[in-house]
Amino acid sequence: MAIDRNKIIEQMSKVSAEANPDGLISAFNVLINSFPAEFWNMFTHKMVDAVSEDIVDAVEELFVNAAHECGYHTGYGIITSKEWDAIVKPMVENTEDILHGAYAVFTAWGWGKAEIVELTPGEKMIVRAEDYYESDIKDSYPGNKSKRMMAYMIRGVSGAFMDLAYGGDYDPTGEAGMYTFECKQTKGIETGDPYGEFVVSKRDDS
Amino acid sequence: MKLQLDKSFDTEKCRHYVNNRLTVLHCHHYATLFTQLAIDAKDIVEGTKILYETSETVFFEVLKGYFDKNNITDKAERLGLAQEMFSAVGLGKIEPDSFDESGGLVEMPVSHLDEGWLKKWGKHNSPVNYIGAGYIAAMYSAVFDKPVRTYTVEEQESKVTGAKKAVLKVSL
Repeated sequence: MAIDRNKIIEQMSKVSAEANPDGLISAFNVLINSFPAEFWNMFTHKMVDAVSEDIVDAVEELFVNAAHECGYHTGYGIITSKEWDAIVKPMVENTEDILHGAYAVFTAWGWGKAEIVELTPGEKMIVRAEDYYESDIKDSYPGNKSKRMMAYMIRGVSGAFMDLAYGGDYDPTGEAGMYTFECKQTKGIETGDPYGEFVVSKRDDS
Repeated sequence: MKLQLDKSFDTEKCRHYVNNRLTVLHCHHYATLFTQLAIDAKDIVEGTKILYETSETVFFEVLKGYFDKNNITDKAERLGLAQEMFSAVGLGKIEPDSFDESGGLVEMPVSHLDEGWLKKWGKHNSPVNYIGAGYIAAMYSAVFDKPVRTYTVEEQESKVTGAKKAVLKVSL
């Protein structure tokens, strides 16, 4: 593997998101927002805690889907950007390098220190994450521990990254190519584990 | 005083901070889908109220913290900085049409949520600026030294329903 993860993190973390005079941040073919992480965690916490136990799984899936679409479209915008071309592309030799590079960018953006620990091309990927902002949700629960694993953003984005790598050509409408993979969280800092672990595999109906 | 944004990156934890507050970038797909989730959940939970109040709570802390740290007491200066902050976080542009302690009207000619929603899905049958409305409620409270939840903000005209700009009414 030719990917220099530390170099990508060091350089991509300096990419700045500045608003135009209309207060919009356009980058990577999407509009960007730059909110306190607490905003996302607080909304997630309140929504999950507000619904009854019988529908909480459905609400969680909606959060994962939001991240999946975000990861699919913004992920494609990133791997086709001039920043990617300048910093990451010279290191890329194959599809798997793109995935490793994407997680370096994921880390540089401040979503969490996420890295692929196992990859079977086209089939399965296991990602380990430390210091991911979603794990901070634990601090809003008694004993600084949540009862549920709540890294919905990492789950969605990880599924989307596998879609981009192995799900066929990118489809701007999202009708084809997206949701060919799904991600389950198997460990979480927010529930007391030392790191988060995410297993991505082909969706049964894909 | 122009808005000062002190941006830093913790190289050990790989986290970004703006004015010492943990900050993350997300896209309009994420923000619009969170909003859609809140709207669609209306039969089981007050999703839009939760979204609005979450925005109000978080951005009140952002604005109040900024005013306190920089010892900014002038109301007009606070208002100008809050408008700058709205744009700096990528939410768009807000222009108070009338502004005093009892409330007023705020125009939002450009909005991250409106532009994102229109780009993603086109028009909608109801307003979608719950995050922006929460921000405006926070702005009023922070500018006038009131506690959070003092003001109520309602979007009266909406770009996603066909208006040329969003107009939000603020009341006590």
